[in-house]
Amino acid sequence: MGWVTPEAPKPEELSACIQCGLCLPVCPTFRLTGDEVASPRGRLTAMSAVADGIAEVDDTFHEIMSFCLQCRACEPACPSLVPFGRAMEGARAEIAAQLPSAKTSLRQSLLGRRGLGSGGAVRGITRLAALGQLAEADRWLPGRLKKPIAGLRRLGLRSTSVIGQTHRPKGTPVATVGLLAGCVMDSWFPEVHKATIATLVAAGYAVSVPESQSCCGALAAHDGAVDEAKALAGTALQAFRDVDLVVSDAAGCGAHLKELGHWASGGRDFSSKVRDVTELVAESISVGRLPRLAERGVSVAIQDPCHLRHAQRIVAEPRDLLRAGGYTVLEIDPNGMCCGAAGLYSVLRPETSSELGDRKAAQVMATGARIVASANPGCEMQLRSSLGSGFRVAHPVELYAEAVGLV
Amino acid sequence: MTLTAELVDLLGTARVLDHPLRRHVYGKDGGVTRGDVELVCLPDTTSEVVEIVRIARRHGLPVIPRGAGTGLAGGAVPLGPAVMIVLTRMDRIEDVDVESKTAWVGPGVINLELSQHTHRHGLHYAPDPSSQSTCTVGGNVATNAGGLHCLAEGTTVAHVLAVEMVTADGEVVTLGGEAPDPIGLDLRAVAVGSEGTLGVVTRVLVRLTENAPASQTLLLAFDDIENAAATVSAIISEGIVPGALEMMDRVTVEAVENYVHAGFPTEAAAVLLAEIVGTSAGVAAEANRVASIARANGAIDVEIASSPAQAALWWKGRKSAFGAVAQAAPDYYLHDTVVPRTKLVEVLRAVYAIGRKYDLLMMNVFHAGDGNLHPLMAYDSAQPGVLDRVHAAAEEIVRASIAAGGALSGEHGIGIEKRDLMGLTFGPVDLDAQARLREAFDPEQVFNPGKVLPEGSRCFDYGRPPVGAEA
Repeated sequence: MGWVTPEAPKPEELSACIQCGLCLPVCPTFRLTGDEVASPRGRLTAMSAVADGIAEVDDTFHEIMSFCLQCRACEPACPSLVPFGRAMEGARAEIAAQLPSAKTSLRQSLLGRRGLGSGGAVRGITRLAALGQLAEADRWLPGRLKKPIAGLRRLGLRSTSVIGQTHRPKGTPVATVGLLAGCVMDSWFPEVHKATIATLVAAGYAVSVPESQSCCGALAAHDGAVDEAKALAGTALQAFRDVDLVVSDAAGCGAHLKELGHWASGGRDFSSKVRDVTELVAESISVGRLPRLAERGVSVAIQDPCHLRHAQRIVAEPRDLLRAGGYTVLEIDPNGMCCGAAGLYSVLRPETSSELGDRKAAQVMATGARIVASANPGCEMQLRSSLGSGFRVAHPVELYAEAVGLV
Repeated sequence: MTLTAELVDLLGTARVLDHPLRRHVYGKDGGVTRGDVELVCLPDTTSEVVEIVRIARRHGLPVIPRGAGTGLAGGAVPLGPAVMIVLTRMDRIEDVDVESKTAWVGPGVINLELSQHTHRHGLHYAPDPSSQSTCTVGGNVATNAGGLHCLAEGTTVAHVLAVEMVTADGEVVTLGGEAPDPIGLDLRAVAVGSEGTLGVVTRVLVRLTENAPASQTLLLAFDDIENAAATVSAIISEGIVPGALEMMDRVTVEAVENYVHAGFPTEAAAVLLAEIVGTSAGVAAEANRVASIARANGAIDVEIASSPAQAALWWKGRKSAFGAVAQAAPDYYLHDTVVPRTKLVEVLRAVYAIGRKYDLLMMNVFHAGDGNLHPLMAYDSAQPGVLDRVHAAAEEIVRASIAAGGALSGEHGIGIEKRDLMGLTFGPVDLDAQARLREAFDPEQVFNPGKVLPEGSRCFDYGRPPVGAEA
């Protein structure tokens, strides 16, 4: 039957792969299994088989595609520049369209038809989780949720949302930035937003958090939920139409917003305004709008979220701003392999996720650092639950803001 | 029991792949030929490999070993029904002996990761094919892989002291040993480069090489590819042996620059990369000599890498050249022949002419120092008849190389790709000798049948029919 949706992997995306295999060693699932079928090259071959009418979009195809973490480590490794992440979203869209059984994915049954699009759902879950933390009720949780929940920060019972706020710097603003509040970021990581806002204001930016915004749509797009991803992209375009720049302090959201051209007309222009917070802060430090401290002997291990390092190709900035905060930056993994969080992957495939999480935790422990910096909420939770007690996991901007006395 | 049932009994369902789509994924390596795989096995241990070989034989099927599938000659592509043994999971680095500079490693160990692993001891594994970040030591043994540094260090055979191999009878033998010069017939050297036709290599004793105390990389740009080739000859005839000496032509440089952004001069007709290794004083002096040789031979630009990071980026560009050219067209055919260094210019001219004759985009990127040419043809397989032109051009390039006194293959192996061209280099007596050697190990052609040696290599073909052949 071949492909049935306009989002399907495109012929030029598939033919760009010349099967050199340079993607294999950086692919987490290939490294775990040694199986070509679990490699980027193998997945592209499987997609081509469907495109050529040799295979169908069936349960096996679904299994092969859903094993992928969508970490996109294969993209920087690819000399012929295959847009693997886009092709994989296309394959997921085909699975959603062609396999009725895959339609009601775990993402949807967990989070409802609108996914994380409705802030209300997250707020409700947050209230429950906060109560659960107080009552130490984690033993009642189903197994596959236990680990992710263990990665949560300590939650407050009162709402800490920053949505609707506006903050102005002293003097004329350098630019107006709109902060993407996100779904879990706003409810589960209020300290990160607080640090982001304080640091950007100190750097001379006017910061607003538009009320009309919603979930960025990344999880829907990764899951092949095309209509949902398109609707959420439209909402984002509307909500941020009046700002000079859109800033995200969650790497996964930022990576998706930088590629909104796939999901909305006008998306490409929107994407050119999107920055990860570490880009803005590192730039502000380099031009002297934010202070730089001397090194003071506090070690921080740096973890690269895949959607920061591989999707956005941001490597230097988080390190720059930690060093400017006086920290000693310790590398944990020269290849930046996925920690296994990968959005909802940790819930959908807990075993693979744990194996990768344990590898990452071992790399952190080998540095001897007790603080880990991670610029993405999913990675942070995965690191916290994989490392166990005795470690602090925080966003690089939080650590910088603390060091220079902004929070 | 069926074949699948027996193997699932041995390995479990996750390590036996029999779904058509999963098997289809294994039907190809990095080259252009596709075959059909009957069943794929992913063993973890030598004893599992032994059992797989025995089971496959009981069911009358041959065995194809496979590493990372980066080969370019179809060495891991089955020609008929066969059981594929994928060795990527056998990736343990054991017993690094720093004193004697050796290590026993699994065939699935990735070439570059072996060097990264031994870096803290000041050692590395010298053979470094362009695919070294992906390819496996087992695959390197199969093809006697070379690489950028084989100019100074020699190919894989100079860096393998012993192999553990599962034979057609399901026995485990060790060929070679820790002694640098083994007593008796050197069967280790027979195994290296045998392209999986003698047995399945399950462990390799590699020789590790000391890291050079200092190195420097030079980028030499020319507005004429002939001046670049003359520079190569001049460097070597001056008695300088660079660690690596590589050439890329303009089309290649453009594609590479678009990927690595290393500041390559995209306007140059040819770029030479030279790595000088040795002590820091010696390196500086030798780099100056190379620079002046290049200028004397018409270099338009001579640059010395300002930092190790810049040198690393230049070499990354060189090593990703084959993938990067795919930006020009969706498919490529990467060739591999050897010509005497003195004939480089002559053969390069012939190669470009062959490209024009068959209307193919011809690029050249190669190990200039040892005359190992890698002409590369970029094309779109959707064009009807283009593959016939590619194959015809490839054969003409081989003929031109051999006519100039060169060889059929430098380092990629023969596989399927060049099997039927073996007669250009070897007479019937040579082919018969090779076929007999193979027969001594594997009389029933259990391993990788139909590869390397053309049909009829055996002068008096009274041998039994290969396993799996029609009676």
